[in-house]
Amino acid sequence: MPFSLLVAWRYITANSLQTLLLVLGVSLSVVVFVFITALINGLSLFLTQEITSKIAHIELEPVNKIARVLTADSRFVAQPVSTLQRKQIRNWQQVIEIAESIPGVSVISPIVDGNAFLVRGEATQPIAIQGVEPSKIDAITKISSYIIKGTADLTTGGLIIGADLADELGLFVGTPVLLKSERGSERLLSITGIFRVGLSNLDQRVGFLSIRVARPLFDLPDGITSLGLKLDDPADAPAIAKILQNSTQLKSTPWQEKNKSLQNATDAQGRTGNFIQGFALLAIIISISSALLLSTYRRRAEIGIMRATGISRQFVATVFIFQGVFIGALGAFLGAAAGYQLCVQLASITKADGSAMLPIAPSEGSYMLVIILTIVGAALAAVLPARAASAVDPVEAIQQ
Amino acid sequence: MSKVVSRIVKSNTNSTLLLANNIIKTFRNGEQETCVLKGIDLTIPQGKMIALQGASGSGKSTLLNILGLLMRQTSGKLMLLDNSLTDLSDAELSNYRNRHLGFVFQYHNLLPDFTALENVAFPAAAPRGRLTADIKKRSLLLLDKVGLSDRSNFLASQLSGGQKQRVAIARSLINNPKLVFADEPTGNLDQDSAKQVMNLLRDINRTDNTTFLISTHDSNVAVNCDKIVRIADGKIAALLEDDIC
Repeated sequence: MPFSLLVAWRYITANSLQTLLLVLGVSLSVVVFVFITALINGLSLFLTQEITSKIAHIELEPVNKIARVLTADSRFVAQPVSTLQRKQIRNWQQVIEIAESIPGVSVISPIVDGNAFLVRGEATQPIAIQGVEPSKIDAITKISSYIIKGTADLTTGGLIIGADLADELGLFVGTPVLLKSERGSERLLSITGIFRVGLSNLDQRVGFLSIRVARPLFDLPDGITSLGLKLDDPADAPAIAKILQNSTQLKSTPWQEKNKSLQNATDAQGRTGNFIQGFALLAIIISISSALLLSTYRRRAEIGIMRATGISRQFVATVFIFQGVFIGALGAFLGAAAGYQLCVQLASITKADGSAMLPIAPSEGSYMLVIILTIVGAALAAVLPARAASAVDPVEAIQQ
Repeated sequence: MSKVVSRIVKSNTNSTLLLANNIIKTFRNGEQETCVLKGIDLTIPQGKMIALQGASGSGKSTLLNILGLLMRQTSGKLMLLDNSLTDLSDAELSNYRNRHLGFVFQYHNLLPDFTALENVAFPAAAPRGRLTADIKKRSLLLLDKVGLSDRSNFLASQLSGGQKQRVAIARSLINNPKLVFADEPTGNLDQDSAKQVMNLLRDINRTDNTTFLISTHDSNVAVNCDKIVRIADGKIAALLEDDIC
């Protein structure tokens, strides 16, 4: 063992109570760091999970056609695009084949969607219709798990609507209702299920139909309006969306682009967390630095005798740096272990409905990061005391 | 310079260990300057035991600190083993202290959290980076020499005053120094312990030919030395050889 390491260890174990208190102080800051990191990352994961479990991770749509200005025979010619032109994906089976070949894509659901009105008696409400294959009703949103009345079965040609919309129109399972599409088609449908997801957009405005029933309503005998994709890892959506856009020439939108407010919110949380983590690290640095400075003062005579016997300033400084590193490492490992235990305990506390009291993710505590930062911070914290120790004048110190 | 000093300088030219020439030390306190050493000339021959005596404030400790390379003189020349030390850096002076000089202080200044053996080994182990088996062996030999081999694993804080001072003497010898400075080595000891320590120093001086420069108020210590250098008002007032001590 290097002699400076032995001396440093002897110094920090000489006053075990003081060292214990110092290590506990560092540990406490590490616990705060771990807790905040696990909480913020957990909250971010929770929100992301909440959102991504109910929406498509990637949406493939036809590219918007815009009016272009062309030049022909040195003349400018404007080429208008009719707003009545129906956007659709005609070769959607091929697109599905391409998407299926991309690793990470788990589910692909062809969709015929459009706007419509639900009419019951005098009452009319707008509704966004999602025409899906009955077997894929749960592909994008697990509607069957949110059904509160009836079933999620679309094979019978019925309509599934949100609970808020059902309340507004006074609809129940089995009630017949008239659906008028934006293309002018009408059809009398029966309500087969009522769901409550908890997102007002879905519960108030969305209805699910079999794609077979939706096609004539939206005048799409062959094509579809979009494809919804679920991925194994929602975080891969931007990369896979880019691949899909290049290989299909369709407009490919990852879920992050449609939920920028979520990203902004999690970013803001992250920044807040960074501040708290920064203060926790600062507390570590200040506590170690002040304790070692006190130690430098208390051991002036000893440092003086070392210097008098010709021991170099570097050796003295190294002893104090090692003390900082020891305290930092002990505090970091102890704090990381305690922080993990705290997070595990907090994550196990549940509310009456069985959901977690705190959206904390014990595995997301950035343990390696905090251990490395604490040890580096502790070494930096020891620099000032180390410099002070190495600058001790042996004559003055011995005379004291 | 007195005639006696001149005689010693000339007679020991071949075995000169440390040579101090016209050492002046001035301390500045704001606007006020105090000249503590006013041109000291001193030659320390090898293998002798020299006592440095003087009243409080005479400049005795300052001279000891300068000769021990713990403090820089304001002017004057200092040579150790024929090497000039005047222009050396702080690190080089530390290295000289470690390799050629030993120190014994009045309050022993042991490291309380280390064993007697570790205290003795410290000045050898720190520069080498490790407490090697060779250093341990030599430390044990030195502890044996000072009669404390059975206390090698005792913490310094567990030793008596006399034992601590004997450990400090062993520590001062770990790097085979040519010259050992002892600042009031018996000043904090009872009569018996003081006698033991002086006998030990004399024994080491005779058997190992180690040179000692001992600062002391105690006439009993001084008369046991080969020479006495008396300082008064920053100058050498008298230098007495063993035949006249």
